[in-house]
Amino acid sequence: MSGDAGRPGPAGWPDPAGRPRPAGRPRPGEGAGPSRRRLLAGAGAAGAGVLAGGLAGYFAGQGGGAAAAGGDGSDQTIPFYGTHQAGIATPAQDRLAFGTLNAVTGTTAGDMRDLLRAWTKAAADMTAGRPVGEDTQPYAPPVDTGEAAGSPVSRLTITIGYGPSLFDHRFGLADRKPSALADLPPLPNENLGPDYTGGDLCIQACSDDPLVAFHAVRNLARIGMGVVEHNWMELGFGRTSTTTASQRTPRNLLGFKDGTRNIKAEQASLMNDYVWVGGETDQPWLRGGSYLVARKIRIFVENWDRDYLQDQENTIGRAKVSGAPLSGGTEFSAPDFTAAGGDGQPAIPARAHIRLASFEHNRGTRILRRGYSFTDGIDPQAGTLLGGLFFIAFMKDPGQFIRLQQSLADDALNEYIHHTGSAVFACPPGLRPGQDWGSSLFA
Amino acid sequence: MHTDGNEKGRRARWLPASTGVAAVAGLALLASACSSSHGSSGSAAATARTTTVTIDLTPHGCAPKPAKIPAGPVQFNVSNADADAVSEAELRTSDLARILGEQENLTPGLSGEFSLNLQPGTYKINCPGAAQQHWDFTVTGKAAGPSWQSSPQLAAAVRSYAGYIDQNTAGLVAHTQAFCRAIDARNMAQAEVLYPQARVYYERIEPVAEVWGSLDTEIDGRWENPVTVASQFIGFHKIEQLIWADNTLAGAPKLCTGLVGHEQQLLTLVRSVQYNPLEMTSGATDLINEAATSKISGEEERYSNTDLPVFQANVDGAMEVVGLLQPYLQDKDPALLSQIRQRDAAVAALLAKYKASPGYDDTGYVEYSTVLDPQRRQLSAAVNALAESLSKLPVQVSG
Repeated sequence: MSGDAGRPGPAGWPDPAGRPRPAGRPRPGEGAGPSRRRLLAGAGAAGAGVLAGGLAGYFAGQGGGAAAAGGDGSDQTIPFYGTHQAGIATPAQDRLAFGTLNAVTGTTAGDMRDLLRAWTKAAADMTAGRPVGEDTQPYAPPVDTGEAAGSPVSRLTITIGYGPSLFDHRFGLADRKPSALADLPPLPNENLGPDYTGGDLCIQACSDDPLVAFHAVRNLARIGMGVVEHNWMELGFGRTSTTTASQRTPRNLLGFKDGTRNIKAEQASLMNDYVWVGGETDQPWLRGGSYLVARKIRIFVENWDRDYLQDQENTIGRAKVSGAPLSGGTEFSAPDFTAAGGDGQPAIPARAHIRLASFEHNRGTRILRRGYSFTDGIDPQAGTLLGGLFFIAFMKDPGQFIRLQQSLADDALNEYIHHTGSAVFACPPGLRPGQDWGSSLFA
Repeated sequence: MHTDGNEKGRRARWLPASTGVAAVAGLALLASACSSSHGSSGSAAATARTTTVTIDLTPHGCAPKPAKIPAGPVQFNVSNADADAVSEAELRTSDLARILGEQENLTPGLSGEFSLNLQPGTYKINCPGAAQQHWDFTVTGKAAGPSWQSSPQLAAAVRSYAGYIDQNTAGLVAHTQAFCRAIDARNMAQAEVLYPQARVYYERIEPVAEVWGSLDTEIDGRWENPVTVASQFIGFHKIEQLIWADNTLAGAPKLCTGLVGHEQQLLTLVRSVQYNPLEMTSGATDLINEAATSKISGEEERYSNTDLPVFQANVDGAMEVVGLLQPYLQDKDPALLSQIRQRDAAVAALLAKYKASPGYDDTGYVEYSTVLDPQRRQLSAAVNALAESLSKLPVQVSG
């Protein structure tokens, strides 16, 4: 926006940008205003693959852009279409933008279906390195908000999910609701605030470029303006999980490696057993999908940072630097929960986090973790850091997370953390070209 | 935030006194053994070298080789080459009254061993059936044990700390009983005054109480934490909720009786453990962490708004540790001690602003809800600074 001088005036004013108006396009203010429905449809119908001049090179992966990426892989794209949605088994990107949205009052089933169609198109475009639409009209607000122009796509994935509330009476979806999709029961060590709880829909955008991830959520929310509104949003600035054997294990804000024992995408049988929804669901449309559990976990980092090293390690059950379990070995050595330390006590203490969270301790239960570190700034009351782990995990049934979290009631780490937000979503399976989320859900 | 009901101590770090003896295979009692500190303490006695003593069972006897060793861990290797009439070796007190360790059923061709941690003194090796049954065995040197035990200042601090814990736990029981009497008498106003008076005893010693996680939950759990076990929201804060939020005493007498019962269990347990300087000092930091989180936020006493006296209690419990260690710290790190004193004074000066007489519910302080966010931030900054200094104590006492 260039200020008042650049604001489109009444018909006949000079084009502030000095560009010719495209023929055949209505001038703003001419004729009846487009309905929200038409806007949505229009967004969905935006010229595929045609880059407007101003946004040329938005994604270098599409070739010939101003932001030609070097050989660092930042121009890499992740296919949008496939058996499963991208952003689950995809090697965890470095950055996250996560938004939940609620339908506004008056939204109809048709509005929701059209929105999901429009989102499909926009998500396919953005993850392929295209803006959400071309901008050729000087008197129209730019279709794409533009902040990611010139940024390499950086493995952007966009994953959507449906919250339990989406299946209430409003959209005629009650008989499409998976029986396993329900708000989580009260769980230990949580004090959930409404500011970070629930949502009709969620958008998980991951990229190695924070601006690209943010841009994706912002533009989908914008497309939904009038149909949905923001519920809450979180940005993740560093991945805390490894989802593929080729990735280095990252560290969370505790300073410990996180995700060493996570399910890896290469472990196909584990993915099928614990992550992808299969024939067990009562809703065939969800097969090939997954449940997403999001938990906002505040870490009282000041308190943690004061704990002496050995106690930190006993709290987690691993050595801080190497990541090796306290029962010995190296990072990827299997923890020996029966091993005794020099004092005759268990080498991995009884309340160590990795013991209580382990599948050995939970009748084999596993989940695919895909969380990020976050900060919301400073606690206005205490002046301490508001930050921690934005936990995201995928699983074939939310009951997996419930079991694990209940096991963590005795976790020694609870002294330093607190769950402040929570949501669960059913993420539909992947799409084939020509399919869209709206038609699939409202079939 | 360890008042959260499910949040228990990270591991049971205070050793029950009965397990304070050295680990000995097949040996139930070792009267003269030292206390060993817990493995998580970083100052375990396991650093001492193990001495090996060889005992050959012969028809003649069971002479230990060597017959004189330094105090500390010792392993006895016992073997029987061809002594048909002798099949065991025992380590006994010098008066032969008690067996401290033994290896038996060693028929010819067999060997075995036993290990223990020996304090200085004279002992006897005993081998029934031999021509000479009793053999002298001597342990020399200083008592082996956690290094802090050789520091009179640290040992005295630990003894005094045990007394402090004992007194406060006993005070907790007594003051909770008074609180319960007011509840039984349906005297709401009196109960409101007596509640914070009992609370402070717990808040001075909480890191110790936390070791017994379920007791901590039963005494001090807050509603958000034991929700998966609803029946565990039965302690102080449940009664607090009844009084201040629900304005009723219905059900409170029974809860209060249960609360006292759990506190009495705690009293028995705190008298059974061996304390050590490492956990004393890290517990001091934990107490201030506690003040910095759940008290600053007001979550701890969310119904009664009596957070200030328990905030004070957290600080008192932590500074008690500092006071007990003062003679040691004056030599070891006077600059740190001075910094802690300064920061404690800064906290005290800020707290003094909220003192009142008789104060809200006779607590000596104003109601916490009247302390506004900018003021809470001042308090938070001061206690965080204090906690940061306190966190430097464990390494000072764990050498």
